[in-house]
Formats: sequence, C-alpha cells, structure tokens
Amino acid sequence: MKRWHWWTLGVLAAVSLAAEFVVPHDPSHWWTVVPAFYMIFGFLGCLLFIFFSKALGKLFLQQSEDYYGE
Amino acid sequence: MVSEFVMPPAFILLAGAVLLPMVPRALRSAACLIFPLAALAVVWTLPTGVQLSVEFMRYQLILSDVDALSRIFGVIFALIAFAGGIYAYHIKELGQQVAALLYAGSALGVAFAGDWLTLFIFWELMALGSTYLVWARRTSASQKAGMRYLLVHLFGGGLLLSGILLSISETGSTAIAGTLAQTSLSSWLILGGVALNAAVPPLHAWLADAYPKATVTGAVFLSAFTTKSAVYVLVRVFPGWEILIALGVIMALYGVVFAVLANDIREILAYHIISQVGYMVAGVGIGTELALNGTTAHAFSHILYKALLFMGAGVVLETTGRSKLTELGGLVKQMPVTLWLYMVGAFSISGFPLFNGFISKSVIVSAAGEAHIEWAVLLLTLASVGTFLSIGLKLPYFTWYGEDCGVRPTQPPAMMHVGMAIVASLCFLFGVMPSLLYRYLPYAMSYEPYTIPHLVEMTQIPIFTFVAFWMYRGKLTVKPTITLDTDWVYRRPAWFARTVVIGKTAGFFQVTEDVAKAAVAWVSGLFTAPPPAVVKLVSDAPEGDGGTRGVRRPNMERVITLVLACFVVVALLSYFSGG
Repeated sequence: MKRWHWWTLGVLAAVSLAAEFVVPHDPSHWWTVVPAFYMIFGFLGCLLFIFFSKALGKLFLQQSEDYYGE
Repeated sequence: MVSEFVMPPAFILLAGAVLLPMVPRALRSAACLIFPLAALAVVWTLPTGVQLSVEFMRYQLILSDVDALSRIFGVIFALIAFAGGIYAYHIKELGQQVAALLYAGSALGVAFAGDWLTLFIFWELMALGSTYLVWARRTSASQKAGMRYLLVHLFGGGLLLSGILLSISETGSTAIAGTLAQTSLSSWLILGGVALNAAVPPLHAWLADAYPKATVTGAVFLSAFTTKSAVYVLVRVFPGWEILIALGVIMALYGVVFAVLANDIREILAYHIISQVGYMVAGVGIGTELALNGTTAHAFSHILYKALLFMGAGVVLETTGRSKLTELGGLVKQMPVTLWLYMVGAFSISGFPLFNGFISKSVIVSAAGEAHIEWAVLLLTLASVGTFLSIGLKLPYFTWYGEDCGVRPTQPPAMMHVGMAIVASLCFLFGVMPSLLYRYLPYAMSYEPYTIPHLVEMTQIPIFTFVAFWMYRGKLTVKPTITLDTDWVYRRPAWFARTVVIGKTAGFFQVTEDVAKAAVAWVSGLFTAPPPAVVKLVSDAPEGDGGTRGVRRPNMERVITLVLACFVVVALLSYFSGG
C-alpha cells in the first residue's frame, strides 16, 4: 500500500461521512441516524469474522489434511 | 399430444449433447457455443404461456411453460453456458463437453418445466451432468468427492420425488401452480429436496466438498446451474415461507465464516456460493414482490460474477497447477490480467457501486427493510463485510501478493481470458445500467439503487473492512488444513468403517490366525520326534549339535537291532524256563 492509496481511501471516507450530514437520513432504521455507523460496522464486522472463524477453527473445525484418511 | 410444436430451449442443448459426438473434433468447441446461442435466441423469443405439452401415461407433461420468471432464469442459464463455452474453448475432451451441454440443458428444462414430473426428470439429469464434471478431473480425490456428490443428490432427488408423488396423490394434479401449502407434508419433502440443491445448511456440504475438486472449466458450469435452478423453484413455489428468512440469513453468515478458514481458492469461492444463495433464500422467505424481484436479480448477477470468480481461480489452477493459498503467492507480475478480471468479480460480489452485485443484493436487503425485519437487514449487511473480506481481500492478497511462492505460471489459453472479459463486461454493464435487468424481472418495480445513503453505506463498509484486514492480515494466514463441515456425518463414519470395522476386524482375525498357527506348530513340534531320552540313546549326533528335534532322526538300524535283541532275550528266557 502506497501513501497515495491511503490518502484516496481517507478522502473517500471523509466525503462519505460529509454526505451523511448533507443528505437527509432515511429514518426507517435506528442505525441510519448514527454518524459513521457503517465505518464502525465494517471495521468491527471484519474483526468479528477474523477472530470468530479462527477461534472456531482452532476449537475443532480445522484438522489435518489426511483427517478422512483418503 | 403436441398442442403446438415449438422446440423447448432445453431440447436444443440436449440435442447438442447427443449430436456433439458426431461433430468433427475440430468443430466441437465451436458447436459448444452455437447450441447455447441458439437456446438463448429461443428463450428470448418464446411467447409467454404453455408452449409444449405431451401426454405421458395419464399425466400431462408440460415441457415448456414460459413466464417472466422462467424467461429471466432461462436467459442467464443460456448466457452462462455460452460464456462458459468460450472459457472452455480449449477443452477437447468430448465427455466434458457433452456433460456441460447436458447439465446446462437440464437446468433450462427445470426453468421451463410446467409440471412436477418434467421438473424431476430434468432435476436428475442435472445431477448426472454435473457429477461427470467432477469426475472428469480424474484425481483420486475427485473420484471420491464425485461419488459423494452423486449419492447426496440422489438422496435429495429422492426427497423431491417423494414430495411430488405425495402431492400428486393428495391433489391429483402434477401442475406446478402457485405457492405450496405449509400444512402439507408433501410441501416439506419437496422443500427438503430443493433446499439440498440450494445448499441450505445442514444439507450444503456437498457443494464445498465437490466444487473445488471439479475440472477447471467444469467448476464454472457447476457454480451456475444447480443452486440457482433450486433458487428458481423456491421463488416459484415457496415465496413467503418465513422459515426461509432465518435459513437464508444463516446461510449468508455460515458461508462467510467457513470461507475465512478455507485454504483452497475454489473452496473459498464455493462457500461464498452458499453465502450468496443465502441472500436469495432470505428474499424468497420475505416473499414480497420487491424481495422476489431481488432474489431473481441477485441470482442473475450471482451467476455472472461467480462464474467470473471461478474462471479466475481456474486460470490460477490451470497455469500453476496449484489451488491452495499455502502454495500460492506473489503471482501479480506474472498474471495481472487474470487478477484484474478476477477483481471485477470480487467487486461485484462485494456489492461495490458500478458492479452488478450492488444493484441486486441491495434489492433484497431493502425488501427486508421494507418488511421491517431489521435483524435480517443487519445480518445480511454483516455478511457482505465477510464477503469482501474473503473474496475481495484474503483470496487475491494471498494468491497474487504476499510471499512469493516461486512458481512461474504458464500462459493460459487466450480464450480463457476472453471468456472472463465477456463476463466481466456484463458485470459492469448491469452495474451501471440496472434497468437493463430490472425491466425483465417478474414484477414491475421502481427501485433506485444509486441513492446517496446507499452509496455512503457501500463506501464506508469496504474501506473500513479493508483497514481492519490490513491491520490483522497476519491472522488470516492459512495453514495446510481442512475444515470440518456437516459432511463429517457421512465421511467420518466411512473412515470409521474402513479403519475400525474393516481394518481392525481384519487385524483381529490376522492375529488370531497367527496365534493358532503358532500353537499348532508348537504342539506338532512336540510330537514330530521321540522324547529326548530315546533320541539320545539312539542318535549318532553329539549333544547340542544344533539339530532341531523335528529334523533329527534316530538311527533306525539301532532301534531295530535293539527290538530284535529284546525278542531274542525273551525267546531264550522262555526256552530255558519252560525247558
């Protein structure tokens, strides 16, 4: 990742955050009025999948490749 | 009795499968494009309504019944058969070509079937064609996975047929007409059979088991037909079955969780078929016109981008001979075209603006919102985070970036890239012009995917998913392991049967036999020679000369002489005493 990649992502995120305050919210769900909700959602959601899946894998799901003896 | 003769689209491809062996070998690949194109033209131009029905015994088989729903599925089935034909243009193996046509034709047959018996026949033909595409890889793993795939699908077909027969006995009709009643056992049996093909957990494991072991080109066809023809049947007869909302959401998350663990790139893609079909199943459960449109649109989009993703993974496998992330890495300089075409599919499945996943997935999520099922909205949105994580980040990062695996890939056949480019163009085309798809959906709707809140959502989620991935990408490093799934239920007992029931039993009998033999040898050893005292008396052999008891024979002359001497002594004694 080069520096300008991060800048591009930062600018896009900033624009999307600004847009939340410019455009009226869709009030149908409670979370649509929480600022930056989808930023937090994306970040935490990603961590959730990484750690939850890995924990399940460690617990019992992941086995050696010859587990089925085929 | 033929009411009006029209060639059903399915028959064009099935005729292609029959005629292909008679086509000169050099022209077969071209024929594999012409038949799907002809089918596409027929699907497109068929008038709405019952086109062809024949009487079979006392039932009316409706081979071709066209409405907006069947037509849109027919269009995408024919289209992907064509695109897959381009991608597989270099394949000269007749078996694979015939199987692909048979498989695609049967999927068309399901889409246009007007009665349950016709649907069932095509349903089973699909299982045959698809099984061959797994077997054709000709590895030991694919032979076994193909057999499991076939058996599981025969079981699913059994459920479906049981439901159909029960339904016929209840109603006296074979027609596929409207939503099935939730109060009837036959409906639940049919649902079981269809859910198996739609890969609804726990009936899903066949998919992640078999698809990664299929041929490079076969997996492209596999990704398109079986699950989506099942989605078609769900839309047709199960709309509004609320259990499907929960099952769909579970599927969407289940596939994502397992894809994070998977090592084989095509297994990651396979788990994301389950995840994406979850959206469609949930849409069927919601059951509103918007939701059913969303399901149909998403099936259409999904067939395109998933085929594209399997094509990309297929090029990697074809050119490197490897498909495990643990054996891949650092290929970006050697295969940039494949990477970027693959990324179009990855952006599409992740629901990025300008790509076709954006315009179809959002319809289902919006329908869940309109129906006030907020938990489904949030969980389906969460699943899309995981989709981007595995398909858009993990897979490409560890395949094309990451540590260089040292493999230098060969050049893929040009037509593989052409096939990918065509499908990628369609992903983009429908992404920027959603009305091209929306106008052909089963119900009229005015839906605008490109709203500011939706764009905000689909900008923020990917960016921050990426940030989290980048921070914790080390955690995603895969190991050369397999992930257990519900196929454990029939694969582990097979191992148990092999090693414990057969292996251990055979071992027990072997030990028993050895013990018995040893005992017999010991006992017989006791009796093969005279007792040592006699031997010592009559033997020439000095003590301890190393001869074994069984082998050492007494000196027979001495024994006879001794016996005769005894006779002489006894005779003399009796002579003198009797005197």
